Amino acid sequence: MELTPSEQDRLLIFTAAQLAQSRRDRGLKLNHPEAVALICHAVIEAARDGASHSQALAIGQSVVRSDELLPGVASMLFGVAVEAVFDDGRRLVVVDFPGSDTDVPGQVTRLSSSPTVTPSDVVTLDVHNDSSVQISVTTHMHFFEVNPRLRFDREKAYGRHLNIPAGEHVDFPAGSTVSVKLLPITGERVMIGFAGLVDGSLDAPGAKAQAMEKAKKLGYLDGGAS
Amino acid sequence: MTPDELREIDQDIAVHGARAGDFVRLGDTDLVVRVESDDRQIGNELQIGFGKNARDGIGMRSVRSDESCDVVITNVLVIDALQGIRVTSIGIRNGRISAIGRSGNPDTMDNIDVIVGSGTVIIPGEGLIATAGGIDSHVHAMSPRVCDAALSSGVTTLIAQEFGPFWGVGVGSSWALQHGHNSFASWPLNVGILGRAAGSTTAPLFEALEGGVCGFKIHEDTGAHPRTLDTALTFADEHDIAIALHTDGLNEMMNVDDTINVIAGRAVHAYHVEGCGGGHAPDVLRMAGHDNILASSTNPTLAYGVNAADEHIAMIISAHGMNPELPSDVEIARRRVRNATMAAENRLHDMGVIPVTSSDALGMGRADDTWRKTFAMASMFADRAILDGTVEADKVVTSNERVLRHVAKITINPALVHGLSHEVGAIKEGLLADIVLWPYKSFASKPNMVIKGGIPSWGVVGDPGATVANAQPLVIGPQFGAFGVAPADLGVHFTNSASTVTVAGRRSVPVKNTRTVRGHQMLHHGVLGEVNVDPTGHTVTFNGEIVTSDPISTSSLTRTYLL
Repeated sequence: MELTPSEQDRLLIFTAAQLAQSRRDRGLKLNHPEAVALICHAVIEAARDGASHSQALAIGQSVVRSDELLPGVASMLFGVAVEAVFDDGRRLVVVDFPGSDTDVPGQVTRLSSSPTVTPSDVVTLDVHNDSSVQISVTTHMHFFEVNPRLRFDREKAYGRHLNIPAGEHVDFPAGSTVSVKLLPITGERVMIGFAGLVDGSLDAPGAKAQAMEKAKKLGYLDGGAS
Repeated sequence: MTPDELREIDQDIAVHGARAGDFVRLGDTDLVVRVESDDRQIGNELQIGFGKNARDGIGMRSVRSDESCDVVITNVLVIDALQGIRVTSIGIRNGRISAIGRSGNPDTMDNIDVIVGSGTVIIPGEGLIATAGGIDSHVHAMSPRVCDAALSSGVTTLIAQEFGPFWGVGVGSSWALQHGHNSFASWPLNVGILGRAAGSTTAPLFEALEGGVCGFKIHEDTGAHPRTLDTALTFADEHDIAIALHTDGLNEMMNVDDTINVIAGRAVHAYHVEGCGGGHAPDVLRMAGHDNILASSTNPTLAYGVNAADEHIAMIISAHGMNPELPSDVEIARRRVRNATMAAENRLHDMGVIPVTSSDALGMGRADDTWRKTFAMASMFADRAILDGTVEADKVVTSNERVLRHVAKITINPALVHGLSHEVGAIKEGLLADIVLWPYKSFASKPNMVIKGGIPSWGVVGDPGATVANAQPLVIGPQFGAFGVAPADLGVHFTNSASTVTVAGRRSVPVKNTRTVRGHQMLHHGVLGEVNVDPTGHTVTFNGEIVTSDPISTSSLTRTYLL
């Protein structure tokens, strides 16, 4: 058979699924490994039967029912990833079990809304995208140094970043104008790297004027007054 | 709260994990903890990935790792006997914990404790719990696979008594010991081997000492007589090594009071103090509660269950070279099995009287079950908080102290008892970065990653040919720290200061402070008092009050998770 390690792993799924099926046949409620094995096995066999990716996913989502599971198991069947051999090659299928459960192992409970901070020093700017492609800017990027094709008041953006939750971003579609809010960068306020416009302390004497000069020389679009 | 607010909360928890004030249920137990604090700054949370802020010049500083760290575990829920229950980040440099606190780049973020470099390895900890690696202070390494089982359950330090498959209960031969140390260097584990203290003179003890043991085991199967006991304890006082004790279960030469008198106030680790694992029948449990006697339990009697007594007769006969055809063997095995002392043992754990749990792996316990059983036991006594969003925050009964007490039993307390706490046992600056990451949903039952000396060395791995690392079938097995010469380097050989042994590629570290350790120093424990066992009915009292618990019919952390 010349089985590869991945093929041998499929046999492990098969064996676990057979075990789970025999337990289900005896009327037992399924636990986490049993349910995962049945889902993966169903996806793999659907692919073998010639199913499309979406058909195999649907079969994986429906092969077990909520009432066949032990309490808490439904909530653990999130992101079950398995690779199956489809007719057009090996494909990854990720199954999120559609059922839910009130018994949730590892449940996090928050009794009041998520913590937020109300910033005091916010600058609002209109930003126009002069380029032919969409530009996206993430939360903590030094906004002063973002893509030269974004036209806005660069001076007002000096030493600031977007006021959005960490890890999110703002999209600037080609040719459009988007209003953004900016917060002061915190910490020691040292900007090393990026486009090299500052490359040092933001608040050093003359640093801002020098950075403005450099940006202008390099053709960074600036919608500012000067 | 409105549906929008609830949706926003779910999304925030999915991205950032628990925050200060949140309640987290541990696995499928009834244990609910409240997060005491969160070192992150709202809005400046460090995150790794596409479009995230852990990037050069933003969340990462362009410096070498000696000015930042080699590895950082970010924004993880730490549950640790010293740290409490808090969200923080853990920096690791040269295999040791270098800093704990807020992570990121001080150039752009306030009050950074853990500087993340542009080359730092980032292990995102959101949604995960970090504990110190488990310390199993009672292992019969009757099979090399016991090491795999231990690692797969979140244990990173073993105190082994032999390397089988032979019945050792301590190793005496220095020649054999050298080979044992060499073999254990194949696993990313810290290992110490106990010598056999079955000597009426010190000659065999000296040989084992030179052979690099980290302590000695006294076992009735090889002699727990007054002379061997006193010889071992006197020797231990001279050489700063721990003594683990399985007492005279037959009461052949002495009763439990006599054993306590021979010990005479000296520090000793009383193994399986309930007695099913062996020791003075029926009242060895009386050794618990003394300041100098550090008592532990082995895991089959924990989370005292309805089938506990029934499994033990056959277990005792099988583990101790006995014959079920021989009526006298069956009779002495039976004497070791008492429901009342098991019921009391579990309660004494919850009260903080017994400070350590262990496995007794392959010698009447399960190498991969100590985390699970310790927390299944904790769950027995928990008040199940009803967290339906209508309970006022200050009225919810949390299990924080109970959870910290039970973490201490498998981490810092065995480290103190065996003189390992200068290297392992807690999440603390300067200690080895032996850290286990657990999903909230499978805490104490199935770990996600076992980090040994700062390197992921064991944990969940999937289909090796897949496009992603998490494709089924997911199994718990070796990671890169378990291959090549890495395991020898990542683990340490716990030894004594008179050892003449070297182990290729592995650091040897003498144990210390084993003779001054006392029960009152046990973290989240230290409750001392008089335990009594009625010799006929086996009713147990502590300072005159009856202690017991009801057997459970369903254990948490078990049926949901195990095939």
